[in-house]
Amino acid sequence: MDKNRINEIVLGTLKDYCERNGITEELTMDTHLIGRTRIMDSMGLVNTIVDIETAFLDEDVEISLTSETAMSLRLSPFRTIGSLCDYIARQLGLEEE
Amino acid sequence: MNRVIIITGTRKGIGRYLAEQYLAEGDKVYGCSRRNTDLEHPNYSHINLDVSDEAEVMSFVRNVYKENKHIDVLINNAGCAAMNHFLLTPYTTAQRVFNTNFMGTFLMCREVAKYMVKAKTGRIVNYSTVAVALNLHGELVYSASKAAVEQLTRVLADEIGESGITVNAVGPTPIDTDLIKNVPEDKLQDLLSHQCIKRFGKFEDVKNVIDFFLRPESDFITAQTIYLGGVV
Repeated sequence: MDKNRINEIVLGTLKDYCERNGITEELTMDTHLIGRTRIMDSMGLVNTIVDIETAFLDEDVEISLTSETAMSLRLSPFRTIGSLCDYIARQLGLEEE
Repeated sequence: MNRVIIITGTRKGIGRYLAEQYLAEGDKVYGCSRRNTDLEHPNYSHINLDVSDEAEVMSFVRNVYKENKHIDVLINNAGCAAMNHFLLTPYTTAQRVFNTNFMGTFLMCREVAKYMVKAKTGRIVNYSTVAVALNLHGELVYSASKAAVEQLTRVLADEIGESGITVNAVGPTPIDTDLIKNVPEDKLQDLLSHQCIKRFGKFEDVKNVIDFFLRPESDFITAQTIYLGGVV
């Protein structure tokens, strides 16, 4: 698994969720997942986190997105789609902390 | 019935009984306990783990999901008790009881509920005890850990109810298992005197309540704790 594949899985999962829930914003690495300009509510975020973990598991890659800093605007891995991809890459040892 | 069921604490007692019964009914059962089991069945898989160990629980549940792509039922049966006057209760005992009873239930629920939320269906059954309702002397730590499980049951039911998952708890009376082997006879008789129906519980009584929670028709029953024996 490389960083491009991580980005594909995360973006693909988020696009599926948005399509299913009528969210029309264009998704980029800078799209916010929490905070004032987030594209989904907190339950939506929970559901997509579960979908992302499961999507990785379906490729035999185990990640855990349970985070003590989940809702911190400064530290959360869910600030943006890009920060989430970076967080997963760090968990898999592809990027340094 | 071809359900995929996770039951914790299947080495002996109620957990073992439930595993054997559901296997006989045609379900696929994944069990766990700290120590080895001699339970063997083509549809039974067992792993040795500590339910309060996050990494072990995550690995166990993920493997069940990977093998089946769905998990239908979670029964959080594993538990431990400690009877002692509050003033004589060691901190380590309180930690051990909370780790197994609450943290174990918390971790199993969290990991299994992820796949149930994705599937938009599932049943979770937790274990409380009549000791919560009766405020029994000498069972402060045990009953407090189970009161926490009841609260987890109610709030979790609310948080994932919209995903088609029910979360309930059964509160057994004393049953002849290792859990009460060190409780003095007079204490047990005193406990029975608080029940509307004054007898010890049986494994079948517990399974009857669980079966009620698991019935397809019970999809509108959630966030409830049912005490056996009519404790009021």
